[in-house]
Amino acid sequence: MTEHMQDPLNHPEVQLANGRAYLASFIISMLLMTVGLWLAVTHITTPLGTVLMISFLAGVAVIIQGYFILHMDISHAQVWHTVAMVLFLPLFVVTIGLTAWMFHGLYQRTMIMPPAASSMAHMSPMSH
Amino acid sequence: MLVHLQGPWTPLLGRLTLQQIPFHVPILVVTFIVVAILAAMVLAATTYFGKWGYLWREWLTTVDHKKIGVMYILLGLVMLLRGFADALMIRTQQAMAVGPGSPGEMGAVHGYLTPFHLGQIFTAHGLIMVVFAATPLLVGLMNIIVPLQIGARDMAYPYLNALGLWLTTAGAALVMMSLFVGNFAHGGWYGFVPYFELPYSPGVGVDYWMWTFQLSAIGTSLGSINLIATIVKMRAPGMTWMRMPMFTWASLSTNLIALTSFPVLMVALALLGLDRYVGTHFYTAGMGGNLMLYNDLFWVWGHPEVYFLILPAFGIMSEIIPTFSEKTLFGYVTMVIASFAIGGVSWGVWLHHFFTMAAAPSVNSFYSVTTMLVGIPTGVKVFNWVFTMYRGRVRYELPMLWALLALFLLLVGGMTGMMNAFASNDYMWHNGLFVVAHFHMMVLVIAASIFGAVEYWFPKVFGFKLEQKWGKWFFWFMIIGTGWTFVPMFFLGFAGMTRRLDYIPYTQWSPYLHIMLVGMVFYVVAVLFFVAHLYVSLRDRVKNRVGADAWGTGRSLEWMTHSPVPAYNYAFIPHVNVLDEWAWRKENGLTELHPGDYEGIHMPKNTGVPLFLGMLFMGLGFALIWRIWWLALLCVALIVALIIIRSFDRDTDMTIPAHTVEQVESGARDETSVAMPTAGVRGGTVIAHSILQSGTSGISGSTTSTSPSLAPMDR
Repeated sequence: MTEHMQDPLNHPEVQLANGRAYLASFIISMLLMTVGLWLAVTHITTPLGTVLMISFLAGVAVIIQGYFILHMDISHAQVWHTVAMVLFLPLFVVTIGLTAWMFHGLYQRTMIMPPAASSMAHMSPMSH
Repeated sequence: MLVHLQGPWTPLLGRLTLQQIPFHVPILVVTFIVVAILAAMVLAATTYFGKWGYLWREWLTTVDHKKIGVMYILLGLVMLLRGFADALMIRTQQAMAVGPGSPGEMGAVHGYLTPFHLGQIFTAHGLIMVVFAATPLLVGLMNIIVPLQIGARDMAYPYLNALGLWLTTAGAALVMMSLFVGNFAHGGWYGFVPYFELPYSPGVGVDYWMWTFQLSAIGTSLGSINLIATIVKMRAPGMTWMRMPMFTWASLSTNLIALTSFPVLMVALALLGLDRYVGTHFYTAGMGGNLMLYNDLFWVWGHPEVYFLILPAFGIMSEIIPTFSEKTLFGYVTMVIASFAIGGVSWGVWLHHFFTMAAAPSVNSFYSVTTMLVGIPTGVKVFNWVFTMYRGRVRYELPMLWALLALFLLLVGGMTGMMNAFASNDYMWHNGLFVVAHFHMMVLVIAASIFGAVEYWFPKVFGFKLEQKWGKWFFWFMIIGTGWTFVPMFFLGFAGMTRRLDYIPYTQWSPYLHIMLVGMVFYVVAVLFFVAHLYVSLRDRVKNRVGADAWGTGRSLEWMTHSPVPAYNYAFIPHVNVLDEWAWRKENGLTELHPGDYEGIHMPKNTGVPLFLGMLFMGLGFALIWRIWWLALLCVALIVALIIIRSFDRDTDMTIPAHTVEQVESGARDETSVAMPTAGVRGGTVIAHSILQSGTSGISGSTTSTSPSLAPMDR
């Protein structure tokens, strides 16, 4: 039971706290989000291009926040968190992927739109 | 205001006006009077017997996982009764309002409930039974049993544990409050968009539904983090993964599901909240919103949630059946794999909740197949339970009866579930009573397991067995009620009756609806038998006193420590040598090992902070429901302040001194040696039990009574 009696500030998780890293992650995240907003507002590329670029930026933001704020790395103290994160990735992919698949079929059936109005119409040649 | 509100709004009281109190609904007025009298009696009795201090010290501020578990179960039982009352009203209304000639009372055209009132009742019935009855009952059981089964002294985060309880309680209290202040959502427990959007449901009902749901989701997520951390990090030395009892495995799987799925629900509800409060368009038909997004997000949580509920029930059955078959669980490894297979596949089946909502045939086929896949691990479990009983010495005591009932209902519910897995079938009967009857079979599996678990582990928590006579009456009337209620429901499902009807146009359905009402009468009698069961058990508690191994054939670690369990669970953390450690120790004559000298035990201190946080969250919920912004801000400020203050509190632990531990241990042993368990075991098996004759304990032998705060739970 001795580990409970320690000063909580001595926990490795707390020791990793780093004001500069938090600030850096905050600034980088804000920049990435601003770029994403700018892409969405200005319509500078095709709809598909916008979706892909924003997804990419979001991925970068997740990695940066995971590293700087959640301290996910492969050091001995933190590898547990990283492994847990990796184990949850398939779940994330399955949920988002199956949802996208459902919406893809759904839009073909229900959202009849003029081609120019629907980005999905470009993506999906009418199969089935 | 960012959104257009219908009706008055004042800065001081928000949307709350006197008209929101339902004086004009006689049912609610009578309910309020009864509730008020009961509450006054409870408060008066607590004052009269001078129990406020005891209540505060031992229960309201506790961080003891056993007491928190007991409070979870009490909350679950109260809400189960409320949900049952709702069911009773739905069945009565549907039996009365059949055909154009049926009379109407109390403002209703047919029957006695207006469509608006009935809508609130079935919404509340669904929400309460799923998240405020079944979930607290199961979380409470896991709270009590998992640390005992893995040889831990408490949960990983005792303070978080209490917080989870009080957040869930806050949600339940808000549901109850919606009876008397305002109204509840009336569109079904899982919500519909855009119907639940502000323009179409302008009242506070949907807000009540949304925030209570949200509170329980937060509470359950916190609980799941706690249980996972406990199981992963706090197992006794020697307890490898493959020596963990089945209930602990099931708890781990179920809490992984909870941890990964409840956040999705929170997001789904938060987006609806943004639509209703800020005027965004996540779920609207226009402005870039998407109706199907809500269905998708909700059921991404919703289907894992039903496995979150069923897996602990399976775990309970896996504990009860070996104990009362006097055999080890058949196919332990396959059971573990099956539990995780069910957990894993639960993530790929959610679309079967909306097969008929225009998904592509290939998508529907995929989800049909995944749904059928669930049958494989479940079938493995059923066969394992049957093989456990095969050539065992099966004793039909109450826990075993409940487990067998759960097993039978699982077959009915599972088979009809397979029928529902065909997307083509769903085009025939979606939203119909066949589906309703199917999932009621499954939740009755959960209910039967819970009653079995309460019978099974009650002596562990309170130190005496529940009596058998009234318990058996309760059991049989539950069976009769289930048959009379749900067999006709299956027939009505085949006949094409849809769910949630406030008026039934076809008089040929009337006989079935009346048979179901008879079933409800059996259920009411069963509830009375349950009350008698509890009363007689409490009255005869001295007679039914039992020792550590209450059933004589317990197999896992929790039967090793005293009944009732001391605050610190184990005076010494046991070393685990095999799966079914306690059975192994009994076979090898190692049950009467007692250490000579005790050490101080380090435990968390009681704290009132979680209770206050729960109250403040309830205030926050109430303020948000009624849009009383000043109150909401005040509650948020106080919540943040309280969390900060608590985080600077370094005096959160205490050490139970060694001599107190010694007193409690010897006291508990002397007491149980007086009342040895009567021979509940037949068949001539050699059963060792943990009872020591007084005077042979090897320690000083003092029999002083134990100090109240550390003694086993009050009996």
